[in-house]
Amino acid sequence: MNPQIKQRIESVINNIEQLPSIPEVATRIINMVNDPEVSFKAIADEISKDQMITTNILKLCNSAYFSKGKEISSVDRAIVTLGLKEVKDAVILAATKIVLNKIIMGYDLAKGELWRHGLYVAVLAKKIALMKGKKDIADVAFTGGLIHDVGKTILALFVQGTFKEIMRTVEEKKIPFIAAEKDIMGFDHQEIGERILSKWKFPEVLKASVRHHHQPMSAPDEFRTVVSIVHVANSLCLMAGVGIGSDGLYHELVPEAIELTKLEPGELEMLFAGIPEMGEQAETLI
Amino acid sequence: MSTLINIGVAQVGTASSPAVLRTILGSCIGVCVYERMKKMGGMAHVLLPSTVQGGKPEKYADTAIPMLVERLLADGCKKEFMSAKIAGGASMFTFNSSVALAQIGERNAEMARAVLAKYGIPIVIDDTGGNAGRVIDFFLEDGRLKVKSAGEEKIYYKL
Repeated sequence: MNPQIKQRIESVINNIEQLPSIPEVATRIINMVNDPEVSFKAIADEISKDQMITTNILKLCNSAYFSKGKEISSVDRAIVTLGLKEVKDAVILAATKIVLNKIIMGYDLAKGELWRHGLYVAVLAKKIALMKGKKDIADVAFTGGLIHDVGKTILALFVQGTFKEIMRTVEEKKIPFIAAEKDIMGFDHQEIGERILSKWKFPEVLKASVRHHHQPMSAPDEFRTVVSIVHVANSLCLMAGVGIGSDGLYHELVPEAIELTKLEPGELEMLFAGIPEMGEQAETLI
Repeated sequence: MSTLINIGVAQVGTASSPAVLRTILGSCIGVCVYERMKKMGGMAHVLLPSTVQGGKPEKYADTAIPMLVERLLADGCKKEFMSAKIAGGASMFTFNSSVALAQIGERNAEMARAVLAKYGIPIVIDDTGGNAGRVIDFFLEDGRLKVKSAGEEKIYYKL
């Protein structure tokens, strides 16, 4: 353990100003969508107050991924045509892009690679949820997949100076990268990600997806399925080399999580083989 | 200036000196074939070992490698001047080696070796396995291969 590094990380995460911000509209929309009493109009009005988000979500709603064919030119139309959950996902995409679409130095990810990785995992996680008849969690699988690595945006600054030590720990102790991060720096990128989501006041299920994506079985019971789906989608995308960084595949593949998703080996291989085509859809969100 | 050509997942590309072919690998295999007299070569980024009905041939080692070799032969390359370098085929970290998904990398490497052997193309470098991702650059001016993985760089010159 490197106590100075740990202290420096603590000082960053305890100072809310130093954690990344997103437009407040995203937090408000996430919480409004969870309220069964809320009206479409209230949500449309809320989104429309933020001009930049409005422009961006209309672009997203017309992308090959979300589009249902008809041109969507207003937030009201978007909600009616695509549904509340899809529009909420588009708002989160538009709001988090600025945070994730960056160079992530310590993990050796060039500009845009962490963003692309998140998009691929999001699209794949949603696909798995729908494939397994879990339509009710498809939207959180998508957003959980999108932001699962957000903690890397902060931790990367510290991984940069400690990478060799972390790798040595991985090799010597035969432990996954995440455990070595914690060993050397006192924190892993999942924990930092959860702090960021707390700042954003995101719901518990998304916090769990970020906090436990490498160890889904430690997630609270009620979120374990979503987290497992994100875990499997993340593993498949890393295996395909999408947004794979210096931490490579030194991440645990958890068999119990695969079981929980009820994906058979043949289905997993099919999803893996389908990544190039799925990627074409995901690329329309970039 | 040499041109950098990115080879995406499930793509096959050929070019000649001084182009550089690059790809990023996890469990996939980058198969690099070089023809030293014409200074031409190509790369296949394969996802899985063998073809399933109706799948795009570029995805699978048993169809993508023949595609690559045939394309080079069609451009006038000769088999006797060809050699291959393969890289990638990593697997996720697992405490239980029986997870099928964790074996894709090794199966990919085995199939790549078998198909190249069938063509009689020697594999001069086999940088596969482990848990690290790899970024590979294949330089067609001299057939050297740069493998960047887990923060370290190796350059293979053997032909």
